[in-house]
Amino acid sequence: MGVLNALRRGIVRGADRMAEFTSKRGSRTHYKGRGAQPTGVLTSSRKFVPIQAMIPQFVVPDLEGFRLKPYVSYRTPVGTEPAVTPEGLFSEAVAQQIQKDFEEGSFDKEQLEKYGFEPTQEGKLFKLYPKNFI
Amino acid sequence: MRLTAILSMAAKAAFPKDYRYGTSRPWTIAAKRLNPPGKKRRKMFIEPIAYEDWSVFKGDTVEILSGKDKGKQGKVAQVFRHRNWVILDGLNTHFRYIGKTADYRGTYIASEAPLLIRDISLVDPTDRKPTEVEWRFTEEGEKVRVSLRTGRIVPKPVFQRRDGIVPQQWKDGPKDTSPEETLEKTYTPSLKTLEEEVMEKLGIEEPRRNRKTYWY
Repeated sequence: MGVLNALRRGIVRGADRMAEFTSKRGSRTHYKGRGAQPTGVLTSSRKFVPIQAMIPQFVVPDLEGFRLKPYVSYRTPVGTEPAVTPEGLFSEAVAQQIQKDFEEGSFDKEQLEKYGFEPTQEGKLFKLYPKNFI
Repeated sequence: MRLTAILSMAAKAAFPKDYRYGTSRPWTIAAKRLNPPGKKRRKMFIEPIAYEDWSVFKGDTVEILSGKDKGKQGKVAQVFRHRNWVILDGLNTHFRYIGKTADYRGTYIASEAPLLIRDISLVDPTDRKPTEVEWRFTEEGEKVRVSLRTGRIVPKPVFQRRDGIVPQQWKDGPKDTSPEETLEKTYTPSLKTLEEEVMEKLGIEEPRRNRKTYWY
């Protein structure tokens, strides 16, 4: 048998060992989930107790007077706003305050927290890195 | 290993460097029939035209300089940059049967053959004669095509969407935000995330923090 023929036979007849072993494969007794987050606790008597805090809830502010709709009209001109960059956000949110303080003379390198600087992400509910919210 | 490796190879090297492009899109059955994965054909030599120097666009009126329909003017329906081809509406046609079944001979239709860019020339809008065209800049800094014989600007054809929607004549539906409402600037830049702002607005207090988890 030539090399190419053997290769072809291997391709056609060989099993795919690198495929993902999902819950659809395996025997009847094989139990595997698909990665859903648990919403409760399984007790020793094999009863499932749902915990309200683990069930996700949508927090939606009051949409009274909210005029934006799901879709945008085709007549809107494209590219009217520049993309938001970290430099742009800094210059809009923080830079002016820093400049004002520097001109007054009250700018202190050790007290950057009043401009929004966070030395660590410890103790925060929504950490930016490693990102713990979606 | 074999199947996933082959699938990933097929997805990556979708079109090899010496793939001979035809008039059908490469992912259709007709094109796959003409160019099956292992097939190698003689190299096709095409005149290299830089991206900035390309002058013919879909919707332009051009005149044919050589071939069966020499001297006729038509609108460009399709442009193939990889082979320097242009297909005009209804010109340079040959006839074939389409939709043939066992007992029905099929519909006899005229299908257009592609023309090379060399055999095509853009038409000056003022005197409607074929001209050579060059890219030049206007005083405002816009790049335009200028016909060398008369010096007039050849305007770029208006881009028509495939779904037939003309943006300026669009009537807003009930779920469409109007342009004025979309362009309203209500964003105040702040260093808070969306979640923190919503919590502040609704007055939600969350003193609990996640327990530290470890994985090995």
